[in-house]
Amino acid sequence: MNQLAVKDLCKTYIVNKRPNNVLRNISLNIEEGEMAAIMGPSGSGKSTLLYTVSGMDSATAGKISFFGKEIEGLSAKEMSRIRLTQMGFIFQQMYLLKNLTIYDNIVLPAYQADGGRKNRERINERARELMRKLGIIEIAENDITEVSGGQLQRACICRSLINQPKMIFADEPTGALNQQNSKEVMKELNRINKEGTTIMLVTHDSKVAAKCDRVLYIEDGSIKGEMSLGKFEEEKLRERERKLSGWLLEMGW
Amino acid sequence: MLLHILKKDLKRKHSMNIILLLFVIMAAAFLASSVSNLITIQGAVTSFLEMAETPDFITIALSEEEKSDIDTFLKDCAYVTEYEVIDCHTIMEDEIEIISCANDPGRHKYEKGNTVCIETVPEHLMKVFDQEGRLFTLKEGEIAIPKLQAELNNLQVGDILKLSCGDKQREFTIKLIVKDAVFGTQFMGFKRLFVSDQDYEWLYGDSMSVHTLLYGVNYEDKDAFMSEFNQENFQVVSSVDGGTIKMCYVFDMLIAGILLVVSICLILIAFLVLRFTIVFTLQEDYKEIGVMKAIGISDMGIKGIYLLKYFAIALFGSAVGLILSFPFEKLLLFKTMANLVVQDVESRAEINLLCAAAVIFVVILFCYSTTGKVKKFTAIEAIRNGGNGERFSKGSLLCLHKTRKMPPFVYLACNDVLSNMKQYLVLTVIFCMGTLLILIPLKAIHTLKDKNIIRSFNMQPASAFIDSGNMEKYIGEKDDTLLISDLNQVKDALKAKGVEAEVWLEKEYVVSCYGSDPERLCNYYTSQLIGKEEEDYDLIEGKLPVFPNEIMVTEKTAEELGVGIGDYVYYQYPDREEAFLVTGLYQSMMNMGNGFRVSQKAVFESQYLGGLFVIQVEPVDDMEEEELKELLHQLFPAYKISTGNEYISSMIGGVLDQMDALQMLLSGVVLSINVLITVLMMKTLITKERGEIAILKSIGFSDQAIKGWQSIRILIVLGAAIFFGTLLSEPLSQLSLGPIFGMMGAPSMKLITRPFEAYVVYPVIMLGVTGTAAYLCASSIKKVDLKEINTVE
Repeated sequence: MNQLAVKDLCKTYIVNKRPNNVLRNISLNIEEGEMAAIMGPSGSGKSTLLYTVSGMDSATAGKISFFGKEIEGLSAKEMSRIRLTQMGFIFQQMYLLKNLTIYDNIVLPAYQADGGRKNRERINERARELMRKLGIIEIAENDITEVSGGQLQRACICRSLINQPKMIFADEPTGALNQQNSKEVMKELNRINKEGTTIMLVTHDSKVAAKCDRVLYIEDGSIKGEMSLGKFEEEKLRERERKLSGWLLEMGW
Repeated sequence: MLLHILKKDLKRKHSMNIILLLFVIMAAAFLASSVSNLITIQGAVTSFLEMAETPDFITIALSEEEKSDIDTFLKDCAYVTEYEVIDCHTIMEDEIEIISCANDPGRHKYEKGNTVCIETVPEHLMKVFDQEGRLFTLKEGEIAIPKLQAELNNLQVGDILKLSCGDKQREFTIKLIVKDAVFGTQFMGFKRLFVSDQDYEWLYGDSMSVHTLLYGVNYEDKDAFMSEFNQENFQVVSSVDGGTIKMCYVFDMLIAGILLVVSICLILIAFLVLRFTIVFTLQEDYKEIGVMKAIGISDMGIKGIYLLKYFAIALFGSAVGLILSFPFEKLLLFKTMANLVVQDVESRAEINLLCAAAVIFVVILFCYSTTGKVKKFTAIEAIRNGGNGERFSKGSLLCLHKTRKMPPFVYLACNDVLSNMKQYLVLTVIFCMGTLLILIPLKAIHTLKDKNIIRSFNMQPASAFIDSGNMEKYIGEKDDTLLISDLNQVKDALKAKGVEAEVWLEKEYVVSCYGSDPERLCNYYTSQLIGKEEEDYDLIEGKLPVFPNEIMVTEKTAEELGVGIGDYVYYQYPDREEAFLVTGLYQSMMNMGNGFRVSQKAVFESQYLGGLFVIQVEPVDDMEEEELKELLHQLFPAYKISTGNEYISSMIGGVLDQMDALQMLLSGVVLSINVLITVLMMKTLITKERGEIAILKSIGFSDQAIKGWQSIRILIVLGAAIFFGTLLSEPLSQLSLGPIFGMMGAPSMKLITRPFEAYVVYPVIMLGVTGTAAYLCASSIKKVDLKEINTVE
């Protein structure tokens, strides 16, 4: 089943009274449980595509359907609710609220979703479990200025997962991390995906993209090509990377 | 290049620049209007009395025989520099009638309230002015009446009065409502109406009735003059000196004092806000300053850019603020100083101009000192917003997961305020000042409106007050027979209707007396109760006089005469002296806190009777005041009957109206300031927190929740400020109002607060108005795009 269906998506910015067509008639489908990567040169429209299909930005034209529901027609309140309960976001920078501890940043969306405030104990248990899985339980009470970038990004992943979303949108989740942290974050994303969460991520890194099921290549606002790599297996990583590199060269990467 | 950077900066950061501009406008408007007000208010009473050429000493005599004696004394007295005598006619109840009253067409009876005289428009001493502060003339058939008389009778310009004297009568159209500097206040029991010379001559020129003689005297040595005057023991109705007249403006001084505090608060608010905004906006620029440093622009160059930018904003903002200061100043001044003639606002434009210039200077100074820090930072420290990258203090003081049932947006608001207290300090101080500006005058109003205030006016509380409108008739009597008979008539009439009641009144005698120094004579009123056994006055120390030779003295008079409990006060008659033992000290706001009270057994000759208060009635058994009033009204339809509250209101009614108007104005000003500061603060915070707002949006917070987070912060700060303001209002009220009541003769006045109004109604209004402003202002978070998450540092 298509979790995300995009048809003839266009996005135009007006800069100095001149239209700048960032996305041109993009159509794509992301299936439930899939992990798709968007690649392309800088300025090609990767992040704009991610933000537009996730409802974080509005489309100029086209249809975006999330679980069969067209998000363009939703009110701000309905969209907030979907973002809160069905979507998760991970950004390149670790955007956390600076006056909150790591733990409070993670539980914040869940507390917000828990209108009746009856499930806080269950939320706390889930937060602790997630933090244990991602190896950051020991920094739970720390401020965000007191931990490393990798730990922060894992905290962001925990936050994005706290409400058990159906889909995660990640904008260069490893872009600000060193190699080791990058590996660890991708390992977590693969694990989450294996557990059933759909992931759509934007990356510049072919090693990151090689861990995804499918790679879409975007250039000048249009999808130039796509490559299916199949479900990720650690032992076939080298082979996937080689295959992807060759394809990317063909795309002009 | 630098100018190019500046141009881009002004364009790109237009939100913050507009906020700064608005704060500069506000600061300039507040500073200019407040400083100008301060100067006007400080000398307002003095300059009004000077304008009116108020003499150093005024005395009122009733008889022609006395006139020649006083004239001779004044001509011969070495200390008198000049004097003038004004001939007036004291009107009786039946000598004045309302013919037409636009506000109350059925009204014909003229309420005098005090002794009322008719005279011509004074040209030399004791001048009167129209509402704009100009001198005026009257034609035949025109009359001018003072403001309090107009209010008492609900009269306005154009209404018609009929004056009669003997068989002559004439109708007069009210041409003006005037400001009478000498007799215009509540405390003066003598009021003047003015007609043309021709009308006065026609009506009263050959009148056989007793004329009132109003003497205005200027002297060069107060003590020497007063001593000689008092020793003459003239039979005068009343005497006041310039100092006492000035003291009669104590309520205006109270209002002026409150305005003074308001002005100082506004100046403080202006500077606080300016400093906050400049430091805040410059901190926002640190990153760019760092980048400029990194690429090699000199510190002076960087400073130059910002100084130029802030100068441009300050110049424009101050110019707009200067223009706005004039109407704002007028609003504050003319609404509240209605009894005085105050200098026109525009005539002091140079003061406003100087203040606007001061704002520009202060902005540049703050900017210079704040950019001065830039020099100390390395480029990278500046990029890190003045920090060195390390943070040792804990960012979060509250833990969300420990808050149990608190909604997350409420938690975020609480945590923000607790974690950034310094940032919210300015707002707290401003809100706290606003709370004080509301609560302190409110305490003054509540105290003046309290039923027990009558005790501070040298009277006992009663359920009904009867004014026959002709209390002067008792003054010429040789003894109290007529007075006692009239009191008994009231008592018997009530008894016939089945109501047992005590009926009494206060008499006032005027006899010269002295305390420790025989040379230091004074002739303040001596009060004596008649018709009631129990006495209940505002005793501060000692006990009430019981025996004929005992006396109670007000604290102020005791100090003036140098006497205390156990000392003697000596009353001086032409043929003898009488000693009274001081048994107690009391306070009274009558006669500006001066006076004596003797026991009912003390005997005074009737010729020294100077005045009487109204008849007071208190039923022995419980009875509703309104019911008693109705009964008395049936029994004595010609008399004016008031309940306790109505009587107090008629005594100080004008003042209360003025105080109420001031309170309304202050509440309006405070609420406006709160709203203005809130809106600007919210705009500032939202501009700064666009990144955080985007994060919350990205994780699914609805706009409603984010608006709640933003506005609850303001309410928390306001709530705290109201709490601190309420705590501080007690000592500060005593500190500020105590001396004013002290000047009025009640230094030990217990301030009254109606808790519901002060601690519930006003705080709820403040919270409601400010909260609504914050919530509406928070609507701008809708415009924050999720992509602005990239602005998070």
